[in-house]
Amino acid sequence: MKNLRSMLRKAALVMTVLLLSLVVFGAYNVSTQGNRWFSSSANTHLRELRANATAGNVYDRMGVLLATTDINGKRVYNPDSNIRRSMVHVLGDRQNNVGYGVEAFMSNRLYGFDTSPLVKLSHALRGEKLKGNDLRLSVDSNLSSRIAKLFPKDHKGACVVMNYRTGEVLSLLSFPNFDPDNITEVTKQDKNRPFWNNATRWVSAPGSTFKVVTLASALQNIKNIENETLNCSGIIEFPGGRHNLLDAGKAVHGDITLRQAFTKSCNVVFGSLALRLGDAKLLSTAAAFGMGDYFLFRDFVVENSSYPKFNRTQSEIAWTGVGQSALQISPLHMCMIASSVANGGDMMEPQLLLREINPNNEVKEQFSPRVYKKALSKEHAQIISDYMYSVVQNGTGTGAIVKGYRICGKTGSSEIDNQEKSNAWFIGFIDEENYPYAVCVAVMNAGSAGKIAAPLAGEIFKAILGVR
Amino acid sequence: MRKNKKRLNKKRINNNSLVDKLAFIIVLFIFSGFAMLTLKNMDMQTLIITIAVPLIFLMSTTLIPKIFFADKLLLSLVNFLCSLGVLVLYRMDPAKGINHAINYVVGLIAMVAIMLVVKNLSRFRKLFPIIGLFSLAMLALPVVAGKEIGGAKAWIQIGSIGFQPSEVVKIMLVVANAYFLSKKKIFYSMAFTGMCLLLLVFQRDLGTALLYYVVTLIMMFVASGNWTLLAGGVIGAGAVAVLGYSLLKRIGFAHLERRLLAWLNPWGNYRDAGYQTVQSLLAIVNGGAFGLGLGAGNASQIPVKETDFIFPFILNEFGMIFGVCLVIIYIIIFLRGIAVAMRCNHRMHSLMAAGCSFFIAFQTFVIIGGNINMLPITGVTLPFVSYGGTSLLSSMGMVGVIQGIASINKRHIMQDELLADIGEGLA
Repeated sequence: MKNLRSMLRKAALVMTVLLLSLVVFGAYNVSTQGNRWFSSSANTHLRELRANATAGNVYDRMGVLLATTDINGKRVYNPDSNIRRSMVHVLGDRQNNVGYGVEAFMSNRLYGFDTSPLVKLSHALRGEKLKGNDLRLSVDSNLSSRIAKLFPKDHKGACVVMNYRTGEVLSLLSFPNFDPDNITEVTKQDKNRPFWNNATRWVSAPGSTFKVVTLASALQNIKNIENETLNCSGIIEFPGGRHNLLDAGKAVHGDITLRQAFTKSCNVVFGSLALRLGDAKLLSTAAAFGMGDYFLFRDFVVENSSYPKFNRTQSEIAWTGVGQSALQISPLHMCMIASSVANGGDMMEPQLLLREINPNNEVKEQFSPRVYKKALSKEHAQIISDYMYSVVQNGTGTGAIVKGYRICGKTGSSEIDNQEKSNAWFIGFIDEENYPYAVCVAVMNAGSAGKIAAPLAGEIFKAILGVR
Repeated sequence: MRKNKKRLNKKRINNNSLVDKLAFIIVLFIFSGFAMLTLKNMDMQTLIITIAVPLIFLMSTTLIPKIFFADKLLLSLVNFLCSLGVLVLYRMDPAKGINHAINYVVGLIAMVAIMLVVKNLSRFRKLFPIIGLFSLAMLALPVVAGKEIGGAKAWIQIGSIGFQPSEVVKIMLVVANAYFLSKKKIFYSMAFTGMCLLLLVFQRDLGTALLYYVVTLIMMFVASGNWTLLAGGVIGAGAVAVLGYSLLKRIGFAHLERRLLAWLNPWGNYRDAGYQTVQSLLAIVNGGAFGLGLGAGNASQIPVKETDFIFPFILNEFGMIFGVCLVIIYIIIFLRGIAVAMRCNHRMHSLMAAGCSFFIAFQTFVIIGGNINMLPITGVTLPFVSYGGTSLLSSMGMVGVIQGIASINKRHIMQDELLADIGEGLA
């Protein structure tokens, strides 16, 4: 009987802990992801909840009114259809077709859902609608609509512009986009999925832009790699021959330095670097850049990026080193990677919200930049930045040159199964004190990055710098 | 010695008055809930139930402990959960609310009946082996003549009344295992439970099979104090789960794969496989900390909200803080049952009370865990609250077992006191 009691006590303790773990698990998940669930497009009740509150205004960084509520309680967007289209994936729409837009994801602030129950009750008793707060965003609507015009027509893709010192996102575009004031059945049935935000929620292999990460790993792990002479024979052969690694256009570069290999985007050198480093070291550098992280940013819902973990053959590892295989990264994350190089190794958390202003026109909350993580050391960031400068000066990225400014970048053409042409990527930044901006461009099914993405990025840089 | 005892009695009286206050608050809560529904519906039926349910609550919490000895705290908390179930189900669908109220009364009667049986357990000693055979026969019934609901074939339809034998057998399982284990016949217990599990697998009711397995394992561990047995049981279950999953989905357990998928990635499949889980989570976050208010919720989209998903429905209208309180109430019910098991003089009594407490607690854990996506959905009910006559009946029956054991304990204490008094008197 005594033994039974002591065992009973132990078992009861475990069961109590199990029951309490329900509370812990639930509270943790709701506090970290509750708002993400709430604002997802799966939540069809958001519209009813919104009907009971009057949403505040949304302004861009220049003070342009992006969205407001009229006397009848209807949500009104900017009168310019180009601005509406270029802002729709940031803002969202009335029906919450675009999940996680500001109108949904920040609805607690915008609709005042987070006001205390007592205030809510007093509003309800007086028969008044709850009034939400105004938001000032970091996006630049004019710049965004200009960039949207530059983007190749009829192509899917994304474009992100951010300030690499603060993480403020100036422009976040997904293509195809749509007009929130003119949603038709055609928009809903479109197989190109205009509602889907390609900048944050589409993850794919980023092609040679990923060589930035491979390069960082090589600098960190192989001593004196910069001065080594590397050899490109034009091919790395693997048993079976089906997955041999080749250079674009079957080029053979011969003996070259690391800088030249990066400038010419040599697959063979970077593939063999990945093999020399091994999967574990490449993975740990990729993890430092945020691959495999569970992104819980305050202002954005971003699909997690992943580094392939299973079936790692030698050819898989080599292909990962050049940004192919099963790598999955979103354009916003690629832009953060470019930003971390530009910002001396500090990766900033992407920021969208600048200020929250209450109905009495007082600033309720001012948001300041946050460092997301330290991706690499200052010295290595400087070296990679130099290499990226040569890519734009005399490598694959010459299309992005803007005369009189120091532009750094890297191209990437990623080949996707069952797709006619490759996806054209470009990541880069302006290395100038007064213009701390990084850009990521991804055009799906477009062809060579040097021909499509780099010139597009060049135009975007010109638009940012205000030069013709 | 006498002084000590007086202090003890005094303490008990104070506790009782505390429980009375608790019962008063609960009645107030239930009454105001129904009053709100009356104001909303404005009909006679709602008015009647507004008076009837608090009345049932008051009568049962005051009268039952007066006539028989019963743990009042346990009784009032269980009554609270049942009447909460009536309230919420009535708000969903008045017909179901009325049905649940009737089931609640039947459950109370069953509870008292089982209490009386358990109280005089020694008279039924010869019946125990028969209980084992009888439960096996009952579990075999749906396999032969069952009706399929939600992928499982666990129901029997007799005329217009449908019932789930596996619910009723829960109590018999605990009693039979307590009997075997108190006699240290661990192999009998293993064989018996194994056959029950096999029959449940044939019924494709894996949620209930999980409950049976875990509760029996805990009872075996408590009775034997054998850590290797526990470890073997847990590892064995893991191996069976992995092996069984790959085998079973080929032979007619198609709903298993969907549930696993829904558990791992509900948001990726929120239109089909993950629909239930996603709707459940949305109901919880839409409700927020304080809920949208009774009758003002928006969780009517959740599938099977009357049974498996009643918890998120309640949270949607009453708020997450209320949900935390509900979990705490279940913990108190569980610990109250364990306290009864601790005070027993007899191994079998102790195992019976403990088995029933673990059953209620683990079932709560499994279903709420499924609702908040901590565990895969298993299709078991939330004890006392979920709609379903057999389920409520078996939960109340288990409380009856605990109460019966409690009254045996009380009798022992009184006998001891009497002996002590006589001893003192003689001295």
